[in-house]
Amino acid sequence: MRAPIGLRIRSQRKSLGLSQAELARRSKISASYLNLIEANKRDVGGALLHRIADALDLDISNLTGESEHRLIHSLEEALNEPVFVGTGLHPADARVLVAQHPQAAEALAQLHRAYLEANNSLDTYQQRLRADPLFSQLLHQVLNHVSAVRSSSEIIMDTEDLTEAERNRFVDSIGREARDVSDVAETLVAHFEQSSAQRRIATPQQELNDFFVAEDNHFPALEQVASELRTEVESHGIFGEVALSDLIERRFGIRTQRGGEPPAGETSFSPQYRFNADERQMWFQGSATAATRQFQLSRLFAELAATDAMLEELGNARLTSAAARRLTFRALASYVAGAVVMPYDRVLDAAEDSQYDIDHLGQNFTASFEQVAHRLVTLKRKGAEGIPFAFLRSDPAGRLTKHFPLPGLLLPSTGHACPLWALYAAFRQTGQVVRQVARFADGSRYLFIAKSVSRRPATFREQPFFTSVMLAADILHADRTVYGQGLDLAGTANEVPVGPACKLCVRRGCAHRQEEALDLQGAETELRTPLVPRRFDAGATRRNTQERTAD
Amino acid sequence: MSAAPICCYLNKVAEVREGETPDAAEGEHVSTDVLIAEDEPAILDSLEFILRRAGLTVASVTDGAAALAEIRRLNPKVVVLDVMLPRQSGFEVLKQIRADQAFAQLQVLMLTAKGQTQDKRIAEELGADAFVTKPYANADVVQSVKALMARLGPA
Repeated sequence: MRAPIGLRIRSQRKSLGLSQAELARRSKISASYLNLIEANKRDVGGALLHRIADALDLDISNLTGESEHRLIHSLEEALNEPVFVGTGLHPADARVLVAQHPQAAEALAQLHRAYLEANNSLDTYQQRLRADPLFSQLLHQVLNHVSAVRSSSEIIMDTEDLTEAERNRFVDSIGREARDVSDVAETLVAHFEQSSAQRRIATPQQELNDFFVAEDNHFPALEQVASELRTEVESHGIFGEVALSDLIERRFGIRTQRGGEPPAGETSFSPQYRFNADERQMWFQGSATAATRQFQLSRLFAELAATDAMLEELGNARLTSAAARRLTFRALASYVAGAVVMPYDRVLDAAEDSQYDIDHLGQNFTASFEQVAHRLVTLKRKGAEGIPFAFLRSDPAGRLTKHFPLPGLLLPSTGHACPLWALYAAFRQTGQVVRQVARFADGSRYLFIAKSVSRRPATFREQPFFTSVMLAADILHADRTVYGQGLDLAGTANEVPVGPACKLCVRRGCAHRQEEALDLQGAETELRTPLVPRRFDAGATRRNTQERTAD
Repeated sequence: MSAAPICCYLNKVAEVREGETPDAAEGEHVSTDVLIAEDEPAILDSLEFILRRAGLTVASVTDGAAALAEIRRLNPKVVVLDVMLPRQSGFEVLKQIRADQAFAQLQVLMLTAKGQTQDKRIAEELGADAFVTKPYANADVVQSVKALMARLGPA
């Protein structure tokens, strides 16, 4: 296809304020011939093209379009993107666009490159992206910039009587948005490289978390198995510790003992219970709660009676080490135990009836705050979903020891969360539920419900050990919970401005900042400065001192 | 249809376009066709432009909390509502719209983001009337808004 040289000649002539007659005279051709050339009805090249280029004060490559071929090609590629389908813009429009709106065309091509770069990273790491707060924020920015560019370019292309001022306004907008999206793409790529390097050495706990996140923390096959186990226990009597230990003794020859000295052998993760495989004995500390005993017996029963189902789930997981498989198997057993103690339909009904009162559900099912909270997060059966919750657990050092994310909620996957979260406030009022309306910098608001509980010390010498457990739900669902009662959910009076964690937080002026933020634009952040302003770049320290002495 | 109503309609459009934002407090009640709630200036600019070009009276807000107040004040026929809004999310605004009988006729077009299928599901549950996914084609937005207005019948 012939490049519309004529169009370019005409637009350059007009921008110089030349008449057709004047340009024809300078190029030593007739005005009518120039008219044909400008209308693209005559080929033009060689010496004549040189003369026209000279008369227009242009480099000839600008007219032949050599310098634009690449741009046209890039644009054709861009306009081939499915995102342009239905816009009325086609690859064939690339030439016209380049000739008539070169700046917009360049901006579009630039944007397309950035878009491709971003898309490549996104496709490969989509899974990661969903779980990563910074990624999803960047993705949101990319989509907004792309939307603005697309919309503005359509206006330029489709509006026939656009005024000069309007056209400039939308061209400027495209340029600005294209630059912004390039910055975002760079940050995305940098962050992606950094995080993938870090993640290549994922810990077993991270692999376990990834697996549960990928399964959306709901395992239909295990729900089915748990329901069968529950029925089996109930055929031995009222569901509870007694029926469970009876059944386990009868089926597997394992005795349960409460109190007394712990049996010999390795200590378990919790000092409250221990299983000795050689002695075929399950032992509980005398002060272990009924909830602990019932849950751990259910877990033991699951490990013994539902091995196959759990191994099958384990086979679906991408786990690279024995430690990761061990942790995951344990977590699956806990999942089944939770589902045995709190059967799906019953706990969902009870949750809706009690407006998700976690302590009330705990009474109802003889379960701890953490066990109930954990179970609520798994209520994701299609057509029978509970409120979507995120789950977090922190140790007293503030470290997150367990987490299940929620789409949209910025949760740090490791380390500590924002110090302002109710998760930490709960440590100051142990044993009490702490609620909070948390507002993030992007405007999203969540209801946080947290409680910290102590693991019972076995002796006077032992220190109590507290952990804090928190559920988070989009503020939309707050009115379905008992925890939303009395809060002005539409207003802003109860809100606490928070972030995900200092490192990921964009609230620069936050008085509670403990750590500098990862700066998206790569700028220096300044937290903790001396009182007197001073420069600290190389060589500046000494100079500063001298200047001040001289003063 | 006779020519007279069209003529009046065009006059009304022209009158409002000059003043940019129709103000019901001043003088007679001017009905607004569309209220846009969008916080990205470039997107808002282009949305206003294309909808005004389509002959509609348009007003806008840039945060969720202001959206409800403006809906009450201007009584628009259609709200174009972005999901991610400062102060109150588009979902929160939508939920409050649907909880209020006064807005039973109000049509809501949600702007969701590509890839966020969850968002679309939530918006559906909360009672959005239509969706446009970012990055969108201008024509889709105009078409959707007009289709929503057509549901309401002639003004």
